Amino acid sequence: MRAATFQGKGKIDVRHMPDPQIVNPRDAVIEVTSTAICGSDLHLYGGVIPGVEHDDILGHEFMGRVIEVGQGSTLTVGQRVVVPFTISCGACFQCEALRFSACDNTCPVENQEVAEQAFGYPLAGMFGFSGLTGGYPGGQAQYVRVPFSDVGPIVVPDDIPDDRLLFLSDILPTGWMAALNAEIEPGDTIAVWGCGPVGLFAILSAFRQHAGRVIAIDGVPGRLALAETLGAEPVNYHETDILEALKQMTGGVGPDAVIDAVGMEAHGFALDNVADTIKQKVGMGQDRAHVLRQAIMACRKGGRVSVPGVYGGKTDLFPMGALMQKGLQLRTGQTHVQRYTGELLEMIEQDEIDPSFLISHHLPLEEAATGYRNFRDNQDEWIKVVLQP
Amino acid sequence: MANSGWLRLGLLTAGAAAAGSMWTMRRQQPNRDAAPVRTARNMRMFGDYLVAGATVTIQASPETITQAWQNSAELWAAMEYTPFPEGSQPGLLITPPELHARISQPLLLEIVTDKPDEVIAWRSGGDGQDDVHGRIRFHDNGSKGTAIEIIFAFKPEVLRTGLQTGAALLATVNAGLLRDLRRMKMLIETGEIATACNQRSAA
Repeated sequence: MRAATFQGKGKIDVRHMPDPQIVNPRDAVIEVTSTAICGSDLHLYGGVIPGVEHDDILGHEFMGRVIEVGQGSTLTVGQRVVVPFTISCGACFQCEALRFSACDNTCPVENQEVAEQAFGYPLAGMFGFSGLTGGYPGGQAQYVRVPFSDVGPIVVPDDIPDDRLLFLSDILPTGWMAALNAEIEPGDTIAVWGCGPVGLFAILSAFRQHAGRVIAIDGVPGRLALAETLGAEPVNYHETDILEALKQMTGGVGPDAVIDAVGMEAHGFALDNVADTIKQKVGMGQDRAHVLRQAIMACRKGGRVSVPGVYGGKTDLFPMGALMQKGLQLRTGQTHVQRYTGELLEMIEQDEIDPSFLISHHLPLEEAATGYRNFRDNQDEWIKVVLQP
Repeated sequence: MANSGWLRLGLLTAGAAAAGSMWTMRRQQPNRDAAPVRTARNMRMFGDYLVAGATVTIQASPETITQAWQNSAELWAAMEYTPFPEGSQPGLLITPPELHARISQPLLLEIVTDKPDEVIAWRSGGDGQDDVHGRIRFHDNGSKGTAIEIIFAFKPEVLRTGLQTGAALLATVNAGLLRDLRRMKMLIETGEIATACNQRSAA
């Protein structure tokens, strides 16, 4: 099969790789019809996530048709499915509590030690996201082996196009969970850092969860314009002091909740970010956490901090004093995708939401390298790239 | 004269440091740890023994876990350091491949205690008597399931260490036992052992 593979920092190459097979009883093999490049794929592309090897197949947002099933799978050949990026067994204590992204059993034992040393415990398995999450081959390929296929994949109707369904695999539920973690009360003011795909879905979700106002913060005019079409009030960090702007816009109170949809690769020339960038370049640190620091400082006293943005290492100068003294609640985590897909699919079926609005480019899989490069370097126009094998 | 003064001062300082160390050691409180087994697992040496161990919680009863340990050929094939029952000779345990490859002398592991749902303990007989002790113990961990702990105590000379220090050997066995228990958990809870391999031949 053809697959987009990692070939070193900033290098993606589409290569021939062996076709996947049914290995375990609960496996299925999917023929991919659509797969997207995620903002967190750029962390891998940029070489800031450890545990990525040459020839690793990337991609964790994908959907397709079932072409083969193991004897323990509940899927049938021919079904159309969207596959959540987290792999969950459905049987462990964590899965039973619907914390699917904390599953105990899906990261292969031989790959658990890296994450255990980095985070204290091994993580759940994820597609195409480094040895930290099991080293599973990803979905930017013609075919994917899907373990525990009786728990993860969502069977979807044939009459809805891929573009409207694909983002159920990750970024739509991630935006939804980000808004839920912000514990929005009717009329609340929410500030969202980052108007990439997750940030845009967080804005959409915040309004659906009855936010009164959403303030969108980014430095890319095209993305701010998209946020504005969703009803958000745009603020460009290149043109204004964010803390001052948020105070002014909220009558001196501050946002009721803040959402960091940027994560470990914050941009900009703030002093702390320049220091973080240098540390990242020389291998002294992994996270450029400027946005998280700013969001915590900006949040009103007694407010909530929701962090869907990906962090992978240690964060220096974390404003623990502000978090404690203001009595903030901090909630974060990889998305428990399967917990939310039912209600989100229903919203799509009812035409209440159409996630396809953020797709800016369709490319054949063979042009994955072009997609990655532009998604990283040309953010004003390349909002979301969908690859078709 | 000046050199001799420095020498005297040096000897005096060294003597004072040694006396201080001995006084501190004698003043140390007896170990009041309420979990001596845990203490053993966290000490480099416990008497003549190195003590390795691991703990996981499995969503299953002690009986189910014991049955899997006694009967699952799929589990046995995945074990690295945890001995498992030999079907043809009741009361004896087989050493799995990783452990077997490290054994420096013949080892006969006999079950010496079998309290259902509580503890199964073994030790080595034959020529290498009492060189190896081990046990599996079960604890109720509430809604999370049954905590299973394995302890494996061995005299260092029983295992080939190559260039490893005692501490490194202990870390290796600790990690191997943990992998064993986690594979056991996967098999019991999900019916399979997770793998990222895309090919049957590589799994």
